[in-house]
Amino acid sequence: MAKKALFTLSLNGDQTDVAAAPDATLLETLRDGLGVLSPKRGCNQGVCGACTVLIDGVPVRSCLTLTARCEGHEISTMEGMNTDPVMEVLQRHMVASGGVQCGFCTSGMLMSARNLLAETPRPDREAVKSALSGNLCRCTGYRTIVDAICTAAEELAQ
Amino acid sequence: MTQILFPETLDQAVALLARHDEARPIAGGTTLVAMRNAGLVDSSHLVSLDRIPGLRGIERLADGRIRVGAMTRHADTAASDLFTGSLAVVRKAAGMIANKVVRNMGTMGGSVANADPAADYLPALACADAVLSVLGPDGAREIPILTYVQDWYETALEPGEILTAITFPAPEDAPSAYRKIARVSGDYATASCAMALTPDGQGLRVAIGACGPGPIRDVQAEAVLHGHLQDPQAVAEFAAALVAKADPVDDVRGSADYRLALIPRLIASVLSDLISAKEAA
Repeated sequence: MAKKALFTLSLNGDQTDVAAAPDATLLETLRDGLGVLSPKRGCNQGVCGACTVLIDGVPVRSCLTLTARCEGHEISTMEGMNTDPVMEVLQRHMVASGGVQCGFCTSGMLMSARNLLAETPRPDREAVKSALSGNLCRCTGYRTIVDAICTAAEELAQ
Repeated sequence: MTQILFPETLDQAVALLARHDEARPIAGGTTLVAMRNAGLVDSSHLVSLDRIPGLRGIERLADGRIRVGAMTRHADTAASDLFTGSLAVVRKAAGMIANKVVRNMGTMGGSVANADPAADYLPALACADAVLSVLGPDGAREIPILTYVQDWYETALEPGEILTAITFPAPEDAPSAYRKIARVSGDYATASCAMALTPDGQGLRVAIGACGPGPIRDVQAEAVLHGHLQDPQAVAEFAAALVAKADPVDDVRGSADYRLALIPRLIASVLSDLISAKEAA
């Protein structure tokens, strides 16, 4: 068995030590090492967006990020968003509009949506579609997801 | 098992690459980690350029040239206001790479070093006459973009060399554009076209992507076309010269014949956009 490396990560505000393969991706370390399951392993090629997390507030693909380069940076996943007021509104509208079906893409979708609203509080529909263009959904046909983000943005702007 | 190394200077990185035969540099990871996930990387060591200062960022040099550090992310290039006029093509290409999240990760140096023929930067850099700065065990050198790609995924980079920066001539006051034909937004190109008008409005610089191992540019044909942009026959002959230099493959994004058919249409259409932009300016 190959020797594991010990990484010290800052995850959702807490310092965490975890052992993983030296070249483990952040997705592997989060799911298999830490039991953080909101980032999903879809394509494992950076295409589907289901593994999207924030590093220092910037959305990235955890499947394309080496764990080793995350030391010294702040990692945020859905597990750390429970008290985020913007995320609460996004989640509520996702449920209400039917934007969640199987749920596999949802945390990645919400990470991208959260980042969009941080940069552009009143996005138009095209901006929402563009912001989600790196997140694939195989259930909804996207319309209900775009609806949810647009109505959430309207509520938040009031 | 691949070890990840984090040198803190370029000299350390060059030394690490020289010490380990199977080592290779890694930048943003958008291609190399995807290949690792697919079981296609068996390097003993990956030498991360992540913690080396001075490799990120875009600056205007004293003589007006624009220098892009190899570790500059696509998102930063796409948002930079230094790529004006003839260099807007670089900014536009950056903004069409993959999707917003991947553009937060991938770097110009990583993309150029990987030299995927269907990726967006190479034609834009060829159109903009970029110069690549490289550091290796034998010191620093510069590679003009038009001599960089030598065959499919084969470049002028020698083993152990690191691409450190991409430098562009000072931007000229002339419109430029990048267009790609792709199956969906964010896919690699089926065919792409980077184009800049010359400042006198009479000539073109054109590079075609995804239709051969490297970007296709014909400087002699550009000289012949100069002064004849309004002549459809001259434009068609120019496009035919680029088609003659193309060497496309059949793949999931399109057949070789389809790509050859796209080249003249792309050229005519982007040219028409640039002439309108020039008239509007």
